[in-house]
Amino acid sequence: MASVASSSPSSGLIDQALADRLAEIVGAKRVLFRRSELLTYTADALPSYNKAPALAVFPGSRDEVVSVVRELATRGVPFVPRGAGTGLSGGALADGVVLIGLNRLTRILSVDAENGMAVVEPGVVNVALSRAVAAHGLHYAPDPSSQAACTIGGNVAENAGGPHCLKYGVTTNHILALTVLLPSGEIVKLGNQSGEVDGYDLVGAFVGSEGCFGIALDITVRLSRNPEAIRTLLADFMSLDAAAQAVSAIVATGIVPAALEMIDQATIRAVEASIYAAGYPTDAAAALLIEVDGAIAGLEADVATIEQLCRTHGARTVRIARDEVERVRLWQGRKKAFGAMGRISSHLVVQDAVVPRTKLPAVLAEMHRIGKERRVNICNVFHAGDGNLHPNITYNAADADETHRVHEAMQEIMSVCVKAGGTITGEHGVGLDKVGYMDMIFSPDSLATMCALRQVFDPDRRSNPGKVVPMHSCREWHMSPTARPTTT
Amino acid sequence: MSRVAHVADSAPDDDMTVAAVDSVAAVRDAVLDASHARRTLRIAGRGAWLDAGRPVQASETLSVRELSGITEYVPGDLTLTAFAGTTLGEIRAATAPHGQWLALDPFGDDDGTLGATVSTGSAGPLVTSFGRPRDLVLGVEFVTGAGVVARGGGRVVKNVAGFDLTRLLTGSWGTLGVITEVTVRLHARPEADQSIAISLDERPTAAAERTRQLLRRLPFAPYVCEVANDALARHLAVGTGLTVLVRLGGNRESVLAQRAAFNELGDVRDIDQNVWPALRGCEPAGANVVRLSRLPSEIGLTWSDAQSIVETISSGTAFMHATPSRGVVRCILPRGNAVSRTHLAEALGAPTTVTRVGERLENALWSFVTRPSPSDELAARVRATFDPHAILNPGLLGAVS
Repeated sequence: MASVASSSPSSGLIDQALADRLAEIVGAKRVLFRRSELLTYTADALPSYNKAPALAVFPGSRDEVVSVVRELATRGVPFVPRGAGTGLSGGALADGVVLIGLNRLTRILSVDAENGMAVVEPGVVNVALSRAVAAHGLHYAPDPSSQAACTIGGNVAENAGGPHCLKYGVTTNHILALTVLLPSGEIVKLGNQSGEVDGYDLVGAFVGSEGCFGIALDITVRLSRNPEAIRTLLADFMSLDAAAQAVSAIVATGIVPAALEMIDQATIRAVEASIYAAGYPTDAAAALLIEVDGAIAGLEADVATIEQLCRTHGARTVRIARDEVERVRLWQGRKKAFGAMGRISSHLVVQDAVVPRTKLPAVLAEMHRIGKERRVNICNVFHAGDGNLHPNITYNAADADETHRVHEAMQEIMSVCVKAGGTITGEHGVGLDKVGYMDMIFSPDSLATMCALRQVFDPDRRSNPGKVVPMHSCREWHMSPTARPTTT
Repeated sequence: MSRVAHVADSAPDDDMTVAAVDSVAAVRDAVLDASHARRTLRIAGRGAWLDAGRPVQASETLSVRELSGITEYVPGDLTLTAFAGTTLGEIRAATAPHGQWLALDPFGDDDGTLGATVSTGSAGPLVTSFGRPRDLVLGVEFVTGAGVVARGGGRVVKNVAGFDLTRLLTGSWGTLGVITEVTVRLHARPEADQSIAISLDERPTAAAERTRQLLRRLPFAPYVCEVANDALARHLAVGTGLTVLVRLGGNRESVLAQRAAFNELGDVRDIDQNVWPALRGCEPAGANVVRLSRLPSEIGLTWSDAQSIVETISSGTAFMHATPSRGVVRCILPRGNAVSRTHLAEALGAPTTVTRVGERLENALWSFVTRPSPSDELAARVRATFDPHAILNPGLLGAVS
């Protein structure tokens, strides 16, 4: 049995003896140690990186997770926790270290419909939770596009968003408490069911820590009531600018749409040419998919206001879904946009950045320029209501020149977004892919402070090593400023 | 250029030096000086929260009240960035002309600062619909106890870049760092904003539970829904007896329908919007304020726990109000004599399943409400990392000495 070769300094610690010991805990079938078996785990949903774990282990219960992590702690072996591997930042890649798959921990431990909460294991699939509580008229609000596959544990690690987060908030707004297994093997309880905390918001610190702070063994989530009614509109525009202006006008009224998505012409055409055709007008420069929900009383008034604002800002047509079938069809085009783009080209990079909403027209124009200058095909389909852009570039990775131009375009797009006052990721996380951009938005002292926080949870930096904060920022933490300017 | 002014007239304690700093560099220098000399600092804004939380023993006060002003406000982005010493009133004055507001109404008044509101994680009745400060804060800049200037988050409404220093600092009561600047999410004001009251004549525990059940069934969430006891209702001049106070927002049609839905509880009458600032400011000077919480479905039980605490003082003058949607009951107890203090201490120390959080308490009472938490050790490690010499607000959080 040959192990996977790795350049990682920890690879010497990951040997047959460790594989045998972990097999005693989880069963031989649940430990992968051959190169061929590990191939499945060399990438997440971002295809740009391929990093093979030295070993993968799939515990089937909470006790097994604890035993595995304690065994790794004893031996000083680094590891990467992984949910469903749908992440878009390379965050779940385990380069020559141990990968711990948590997708077998799929139990919903309790549902308290009366108080609108549930306790789940980390491997519960996002949409499975909403299905399980549907009979109570409840759902779990954060809805990443990958919700049919991604896990709540992964959502907690990434502080995942989704189209409906505009109104309902992102993952961190829906997590009440966590039982966390620290990389040392120690178990701590953070937060409580009432959400009333007297002390530091350690739940807030843990959510979005991208697997660097440990593993959530159970997660107490807030459930949201299903709305009494939903109305979905599609408005199409002859310019991106007009569509962006309509977005600002809608938000300024005080109406908070459940979702406010923009789809550009390139994306519309990709969708309409695919099996996911939703009836979007292919000659439009952009379309807005707008959803409002809540009590029936007053909802039609909001729909009328939105329709009027779209027309005032130059919408050519405003279509209001007449029934659930039409509503689902309108959403299908949006939700399957990435899949539709995948048809056009062999490779696709899905990017994620946020800009202040008022900067959308200028930033979209810049992206158009970048695409033209670099001769790359940039499509945009994104959460316009909160300025969360998802520029996507289709390309052929076999073409070295094109791949190079795509990388340059991506970097330039990031610079444009940061210069506009934005950030490098709104919901996909930093992971491996964006570590290099962190210096663009945070000072060395801020990064060192983040690193210091990580060391509280994981002093040896063994959990998801090398992610989120650039290594050079994690200098020995003396808790002293890098420089003290002279003052008068 | 930084300046450190010594302000003698606003010292909370007569013998305490107050340094008022007006720049981030000055905050950093003051913290560094204190750190080198191992002097402890009481961090303050305009002093509204200095009697809140556990007692602090510090050699001097570092006030950020002079570090004030809005640094960025683009109404179309519905975000605002301001220095920590900016008051909530200044933010209201800047945002109101654009039909916007910062939906935070901590107890006290709008003379409180943004920095203190975020630092203490203070939320008022609007929590029902808009959440706590952690849900509205987008980014913070702060100076750690070692004098390191760091930032978490950013200025946009959605952001997952880096570890969440923003939420860690929010509600950390100045014990991890001195917050110098904050970016918050604003909301657009609704077309209609109306307040109503309903008097209930049943037992308070049943009334609180019936209100919660109605809220659970309604297809909308009111901005505010509080249940006030008789003493508080009289003080606010909104009626007598147990009174439900509701604030409704949305378009006109929606608010009309919301108002009609509350008829199920009892006769609905319109009340003045001034009830909300009056509720925020209802605490008499020196009052003991305790917040009790359990799951929302146990609101009746929590109300009776609160009632038994209130009865140790003088039930006729103490205020109580519940937030049924969150399962919280607040007790506001005018300061009593030594005998009533002993009774209050007994009530606060009684074994119970309720979570008790002291907001404002006489020094002698703190030990009765402070309980160990399973994350205390981890919290202590966070504290030691951010404030290695424990110079920031010593005693305010952490294990009771």
